[in-house]
Amino acid sequence: MKPAPFSFVAPESLEEVVRALAEHGDDARILAGGQSLVPLMNLRLARPEVLVSINRCHELDYIRLVDDRLVVGALVRQIDAETSLLVRAECPLLATALPHVGLPATRNRGTVCGSLAHCDPLAELPAVALALDAELVLTSAAGERRVPADAFFITEMTTCIEPGEVVAAVALARQDPSERSALHEVSNGGHAFPVGGVALRWASADGVCTMARIAAFGVGSVAQRLVDAEEALVGSDLGPAAVAAAVAAARAEVNPTGDIHADADYRRHLVGVLLERGLLEGESP
Amino acid sequence: MNDEVPVTVTVNGRTRQSRVEPRRLLVDFLRHDLGLTGTHIGCEQGVCGACTVLLDGRTARSCLHFAVAVDGSEIRTVEDLASLDELHPIQEMFHRKHALQCGFCTPGFLLTTVELLERTAEPDEAAIREALMNNVCRCTGYANIVDAVAEAAVELRRRNPA
Amino acid sequence: MSSDTQGAVGQSVLRREDDYLLRGQGRFVDDLPTPLNTLHLAFVLSPYAHARISEIDASEALALDGVVDVLTGADLAAMVKPIAAQIELPGYSFNTRDVLAADEVRFAGEAVAVVVAESQYLAEDGAELVQVDYEPLPVVTDIAEATDPDAPQVNPTVPGNVYFEGRFATEGVAAGFEAAAHVIAEDFHSNRVTAVPIEPRGCLAVPEQPANLVFYSSTQIHHLLRTALAEFLDVAESTLRVVVPDVGGGFGIKAALYPEEFVCAALALRLRRPVKWIQDRYGALLTDVHARDNHYRVEAAIDDDGIVLALRAEIRTNGGAYSALPFGCTLETTGGARMIVGPYRITEYEYTATAVATHTAPVLAYRGVAQPVCFMAIEGIMDRIARRLELDPAEVRLRNMVPTAELPWTNIVGVRYDTGSFVESLEMAMEMANYDEFRATQAQGRLVDGKYRGIGICSFTEVSGTGAPGWRARGLTRLPGFDSGTVKVEPTGKVTAFVSHAHSGQGHFTTFAQVVADALGARLEDVTVVEGDTAAGPYGTNTFASRSAVTGGGALIRASEKARLKLARIAAFMLESTPEDIVVADGRMHVAGVPSRGLSFQEVAETAYAMNTSDLPEGESFGIEETDFYDPPLVTMANATHIAQVAVDAGDGTVDIEGYTVVHDCGRVINPMIVDGQVMGGVAQGVGEALMEEFVYDEDGQVRTATLIDYLLPSSVDVPNFQIAHIESPSIDTVGGFKGVGEGGLIGAVPALVNAVADALSDLDVNVNTKPLRPALLSRLIREAGG
Repeated sequence: MKPAPFSFVAPESLEEVVRALAEHGDDARILAGGQSLVPLMNLRLARPEVLVSINRCHELDYIRLVDDRLVVGALVRQIDAETSLLVRAECPLLATALPHVGLPATRNRGTVCGSLAHCDPLAELPAVALALDAELVLTSAAGERRVPADAFFITEMTTCIEPGEVVAAVALARQDPSERSALHEVSNGGHAFPVGGVALRWASADGVCTMARIAAFGVGSVAQRLVDAEEALVGSDLGPAAVAAAVAAARAEVNPTGDIHADADYRRHLVGVLLERGLLEGESP
Repeated sequence: MNDEVPVTVTVNGRTRQSRVEPRRLLVDFLRHDLGLTGTHIGCEQGVCGACTVLLDGRTARSCLHFAVAVDGSEIRTVEDLASLDELHPIQEMFHRKHALQCGFCTPGFLLTTVELLERTAEPDEAAIREALMNNVCRCTGYANIVDAVAEAAVELRRRNPA
Repeated sequence: MSSDTQGAVGQSVLRREDDYLLRGQGRFVDDLPTPLNTLHLAFVLSPYAHARISEIDASEALALDGVVDVLTGADLAAMVKPIAAQIELPGYSFNTRDVLAADEVRFAGEAVAVVVAESQYLAEDGAELVQVDYEPLPVVTDIAEATDPDAPQVNPTVPGNVYFEGRFATEGVAAGFEAAAHVIAEDFHSNRVTAVPIEPRGCLAVPEQPANLVFYSSTQIHHLLRTALAEFLDVAESTLRVVVPDVGGGFGIKAALYPEEFVCAALALRLRRPVKWIQDRYGALLTDVHARDNHYRVEAAIDDDGIVLALRAEIRTNGGAYSALPFGCTLETTGGARMIVGPYRITEYEYTATAVATHTAPVLAYRGVAQPVCFMAIEGIMDRIARRLELDPAEVRLRNMVPTAELPWTNIVGVRYDTGSFVESLEMAMEMANYDEFRATQAQGRLVDGKYRGIGICSFTEVSGTGAPGWRARGLTRLPGFDSGTVKVEPTGKVTAFVSHAHSGQGHFTTFAQVVADALGARLEDVTVVEGDTAAGPYGTNTFASRSAVTGGGALIRASEKARLKLARIAAFMLESTPEDIVVADGRMHVAGVPSRGLSFQEVAETAYAMNTSDLPEGESFGIEETDFYDPPLVTMANATHIAQVAVDAGDGTVDIEGYTVVHDCGRVINPMIVDGQVMGGVAQGVGEALMEEFVYDEDGQVRTATLIDYLLPSSVDVPNFQIAHIESPSIDTVGGFKGVGEGGLIGAVPALVNAVADALSDLDVNVNTKPLRPALLSRLIREAGG
């Protein structure tokens, strides 16, 4: 199927982008990599009047350290983040996660920020953003605001982006070199979206867990931070009893729904399996 | 909104200028405006990979790009791989290893292989299978494609020693 | 006369098709150059599974610049007769389909209008603007609920939603069950799938003189399509030419005759302009024929040694909303009922086989037709016998198989197994798969490192090359069975072979050339194959159901032999010898024992075409162009054994295929490389069907799998590496000794994988009798069993 007609603008700076968004309001959609948007447009399930491409805004194509955060600009393609030495060093969880995202060709074009803005409940990156205490940098004609990830993701395909705003960047917590992190997921086949997954990072000192961030995806209407499971780990020795407690907590705090790919009980069970797998197999940076 | 807008791209080394509707998919532009019908349409949903081209050197779904949005880019399609007299080594290995049957998905697999072997000169089987997830083949069962890619890697290393 | 050409048949000749396909020069239907005045079609698809169409308002669509016309069911009814499959089975409920639904829609995706426009984009814009008022009606999609007394009626001429019910029983079935030491009974559930060739369907109709219409289609059945177009459009068949360009996979779903083809042809004739329709994936998933929505209840009476004394099968297949052309909605029904006995000595057998109507897409052929399911059932029964009697599953099979020494053997439904290797293929596959070693390791426990490991066998017969009697036995009296070949030695001595097949990836240009080269005594490189064009060569039944090697190969051998005789007669005349003394080999003829007294094909052909000073022998006609037809026996039976080794993750329920072995016997092998390719491709589809593919309707008949994001296909990381070996038991009933190979890979893979998973979980005492075996299902079984 072919997309419905639209107008196309391709500004060359963030300033022009927000001006175009201000002009077209609700009718406009941002085109970054397009790997989630264009399939919907081809099916005519999305039909923006105006596409505002940010692909010429080279100023948004950066990965850089700003204070205690790694900031990834809106035009950074997933493949470039995946192969970035800076990402590998500062946010190994993101580097671990990216090979699971989409397929090689969609990672070549799709952007990190675009996946976050799309907010697919089955996507890995929103969970990674939660686990990395991300802040989304939203820019509009009125200026810039920074929104923590847990306030940014609202529900399936819905974020707190207001008309006129664009995700200009995402700022991620830099992982401490002593941290371990993992991402595990299960799908029904090589090409398939996951039916459930867990992204996590944690740190320990002298045999005691000092920090844990756990986020699940595919087990609800939006990626979810598993705070009860985190609490079960922090202060523990990360031994079998603690892991079991975290697994139980994780299963208790998710509220999955069933669909044609997996039933709700399985997804609840799976969160525990994958959390345990992550804690046992997680890699050091 | 149906107004045509100018687009300039370099396709297989040649600069092509045209006017297109903004909604014109890159794959339709290549196939029906430029006559490069080796790039196929299998789903327009981003899954099958039959429409894979190299966009600025990287594989991309040409069904998920608007021609106007890749203005200024460099595109390489399957038609650019062989010379008149000789198949590209990757194509040659697909032939020798019977890595194609109906041939509809094959152009996409070839471009995925070009990208893989440019990034990784000596991929193991797992890396090959991972890269080939870019494309769906419903005929071959993949095993012969995996073999062909491995053999093509050997041949390319032989021709271009590091 | 004799031929001592070094055989081309049996060699892994590399394919001639590859060079142009690899260069991106394939000509699939959407790649064909189209005249500038070509019109494009978009169909308006019903969002409802069952609804009355109260009104269609096309005014907005017609107002759109570039939209040429919008036609509805009533408009098309004046141009195309209702289409119908002809099935002569007692009790079959004849039913017809309007090419565009006129009053009532019966499945989600059924077309209710068509938009004709100057481009595909505009046609789709128009289709969106067509306003259709539907009055929704009650829906039934489930195979079991279809025959509930209060189920909504799907089709006015199909009372009680039963298309057909067939029964068969031998006399001693009841006695067999009475004498049985054990009765093993099981219900097997197979889910709906569809083939998903990567090239969607499409057609291009070009009005031309002197033929009225050249119709390019991605079909597998060009001659049958042409006859059907003539019949339902009421035009002279001789004014139609159907051409099949390159086809991007068919797998049976392109061996159906679809409404869009009739609409496209009718509109080209009416508008006197080229008309093109290219399907999109969304439409493909909704409207291509589906398959495998089947339920089998099987009971086996066995003695203490695990020998099957009698077998009962109750088979129910979902035929969808209409009986699709040309094979009809009973294809899976009669197929499963007749094929389930497989390689086993089943001497008492009873079946009830029912095809039901539901508000779902029509069901027809998909690679393997019924066999993946009926062998999932019978091979599942063999494994259950083994578990009940604590025997090895392989041993149970060996005890029940028809041994090679007893072939030819006619099975209980009258199908003759002329040659084969049931026992040998199983034994060889066990050897290759290190079966005994696997079992020995497994005896220490199936759960190792968090994974349950299992091994599964499928030994099966594979129906191929069906002749007219075979189709008649299934009520398909309008389906011919024969194919044709014409072999023409050109004036230059080169050979053109026409065959009534159409390829969709099988490598016909290569394999048929191998067959002709050997049969004619020509050099392989001198033979060119032409097919897929009703204007080139005579009629045939075309390409589906593993036919082409058997029927096309047989016809070409016969035609080649005629041509070779003619060459020999002319050569003998020119060489002053006798035809019996002429040796034909390697593109030359010479007098036996005197190689120096010889002529090239070209020298003989020049005589035949009066292009030299030689005369033709008295009574010989000009040219060298011979045609023959070949109708194979009832059924040509190939066989194989597949063995799958799997690991099921105890935690997440995922399945890894750790080993896969196939021993296949398709008689005389034309090209081993291509045969292996067919097997591997089939297994990959079987991996999909067993582990992930599922076409889903919800209870309202809405499609839940309308994209490839939801309908899952196996990828490069899902399909294993293979070990493949061949046994060659040439058929003694077919010309050439060939048997078919197109479907076996898929047929064997589904049961082998299901059995392997069941074996892996057998310590948990769970019942694996359904598919697909997705992680959620397996994890649930494991958890419920406390594993």
